[in-house]
Amino acid sequence: MRNRDLSFWLFLTPVLLGLGLVVILPLLYGTVYSFTDWNGLTANKFLGLDNYKRLLEDEEFLNSIWFTIKFSVVSVILLNVLGLGLALLVTRQLKSSNFLRTIFFMPNLIGGLILGFIWQFIFVSVFEDIGAALQIEGLQGWLSTTSTGFWGLVILTCWQMAGYIMIIYIAYLQNIPKELIEAAKIDGANSFQRFRTITFPLVAPAFTVSMFLTLSSSFKIYDQNLSLTNGGPFESTQMVAMEIVKTAFSANEMAYGQAKAVVFFVIVSIIALTQVYYNKKREVDM
Amino acid sequence: MKKKFFSKVVPALFVSSILIAGCSSGDEGESGSAAEDEITLNIFQGKVEFKDQFESLVEKYEEENPGVNIEVETVGGGTDYAPVLKSKFSSGDEPNIFNVTGPQDVIDYKKYLTDLADTDAAQAAFDGTLATVTDGEKILGLPFNQEGYGLIYNKKVFEEAGIDPTSILSYEDLEAAVKTIDSQKEDLGLEAVFALPAKEAWVLGDHLANAFLAPEFNHDVMESFNADTVTFEKGAEMKRFLDLQNEYSVQPVLSLDYSQQVEEYFSLQKVALIQQGNWIFPSVEQMDPEFAQNIGVLPIPVEGFEGSIPVGVPNYWAVNNNFDEEVVQASKDFLDWMYTSETGKDFVINEFKFIPAYEGYDTEKISDPLSKDVYDYASNGKTIGWIFAGYPSNPWGTGVIGPNMQKYLAGEMTWEEVEADAIAKWEEARAQQ
Repeated sequence: MRNRDLSFWLFLTPVLLGLGLVVILPLLYGTVYSFTDWNGLTANKFLGLDNYKRLLEDEEFLNSIWFTIKFSVVSVILLNVLGLGLALLVTRQLKSSNFLRTIFFMPNLIGGLILGFIWQFIFVSVFEDIGAALQIEGLQGWLSTTSTGFWGLVILTCWQMAGYIMIIYIAYLQNIPKELIEAAKIDGANSFQRFRTITFPLVAPAFTVSMFLTLSSSFKIYDQNLSLTNGGPFESTQMVAMEIVKTAFSANEMAYGQAKAVVFFVIVSIIALTQVYYNKKREVDM
Repeated sequence: MKKKFFSKVVPALFVSSILIAGCSSGDEGESGSAAEDEITLNIFQGKVEFKDQFESLVEKYEEENPGVNIEVETVGGGTDYAPVLKSKFSSGDEPNIFNVTGPQDVIDYKKYLTDLADTDAAQAAFDGTLATVTDGEKILGLPFNQEGYGLIYNKKVFEEAGIDPTSILSYEDLEAAVKTIDSQKEDLGLEAVFALPAKEAWVLGDHLANAFLAPEFNHDVMESFNADTVTFEKGAEMKRFLDLQNEYSVQPVLSLDYSQQVEEYFSLQKVALIQQGNWIFPSVEQMDPEFAQNIGVLPIPVEGFEGSIPVGVPNYWAVNNNFDEEVVQASKDFLDWMYTSETGKDFVINEFKFIPAYEGYDTEKISDPLSKDVYDYASNGKTIGWIFAGYPSNPWGTGVIGPNMQKYLAGEMTWEEVEADAIAKWEEARAQQ
């Protein structure tokens, strides 16, 4: 890292420029606008913290944050369990393991919007028909209640991201030295003991990475939310990103939406940074 | 050192310059009016349904007027159009002709709006269609068309069930007809009488509520826009109409959306009635052209306004005055030509399939049965106001009353709570302005 000469910076310039123009500058601008009464065309007054004070009493916004937190907790746990499970499955010497890897990874290649519409069809029509044929009440009326909307979103997210998380775990699983496992086998450890004392601690770095990825992406979900439930019924499955877009564009309150976005940014950064810090501490060095 | 410079710095410079150049091209040749004697007009419009037809009309105009070059840009849907328009204005890439949809837009864009009172189109516009865009003597927009909604019904089902659709005026008539159809739904091959798309807050909050709220604002959009409160004079009627649709609808209504309502249930003739407007005609026609000729519009039963349907102007054309006089004039000329020339009129009726909001049209030519019905209601004065464009813009229709009705249907709110909350939020929004 010592040789940061002229060419280092020249190669970096386009990226820095891009990052500055589309990320840093808008972030700064946005933060400034969140203190005004900006309506998208003009900002007339400097309001100070008024927009932020309004936030604390905005039930809809607080509900959407609470919903997003619940959703993230459930989907982070499920995604990591599923991802690790799938990774363990396909790293065994199975004949079909390459085929399975492809299958599990595939949903991740489909855009969130399309996946949302596909699953909407499955939940609303396919579930309905199966439920009617087998007389299972629980399969009927999906997405028409808050709880089925919630689980619908969780299922959709797991379906989409589990394969991606699996890839990360596979990479780390393959790095575990064979000798360690063999030595444990000779010592008479059964497969559960081998997993608990060798495999699991050694994939901890993967856990850091995938937890960060799952956490930040489940917090930021928008397209899946839009196409699957569109916040319905009665805006009870509306996640923060969607609530912000609605405030800014449907309610036409750009500055207020911007204030929400700033708060959202702070929350996500705090959670993500804390998580990475603690996970890093737990990692075992070989 | 020199060698190193060439091997490292030059490629780096090369890569950077390509990337930077990539970001900056694209601005060339774009400006409100070209320097030559040719005038370029940029039209930015939000009605996706008639994009192709509109573009071919523009081509015709360019042929007739060699000095004018028109570029059309279309971005669809109500909520998508507004933010893009806004960003166009704030980034300086202003269109010459754009759309305004309600009183709030007129206020927001006021300093850009040209007075169109001297155009022929403005003179020919029907009384009342200009209310939203009138500012004293000034007329700041020209109506696109008229649209109307009600209960769209399957004529064959009514015939087989032995019901005369023209006799349905009051709520009692409708209820009786619904019960008759419901009792024979197996013979008629129906799944239910209605398909109520309660997933769509706009169907409940904008359209359904509008029909029962319009009378208390005297059917005047500006009155609703200026009202400090809403009283739900006809709240009980609103409730029973919603209940009726819900009770006899395909279930569960809360996950039923617009496309299922129109395509899956109505077009495939699994339901007899849906609450929708004449804009669904192209969808129905695509699904089943034969069936599309066999549908009509029934009134929404509002006491005191029996036999009427809500009709209004959903969208207006506006001309940006932030350009040279000749460019503004050219924009006006184009709009005038579209609504008052023979070619333009022909397009409006036969290609756009619009219900004209202007005099001087041969309305015999309206070909689709829904538009025809809506036009008949409108020309007989059998209309209910279209006041939801004047709801508070927080947005009250799809953000407050619509979701409240959804909660009511889910059993999470009583009707009293629906009204009380909707009134409180209306007053809150008005107090903030």
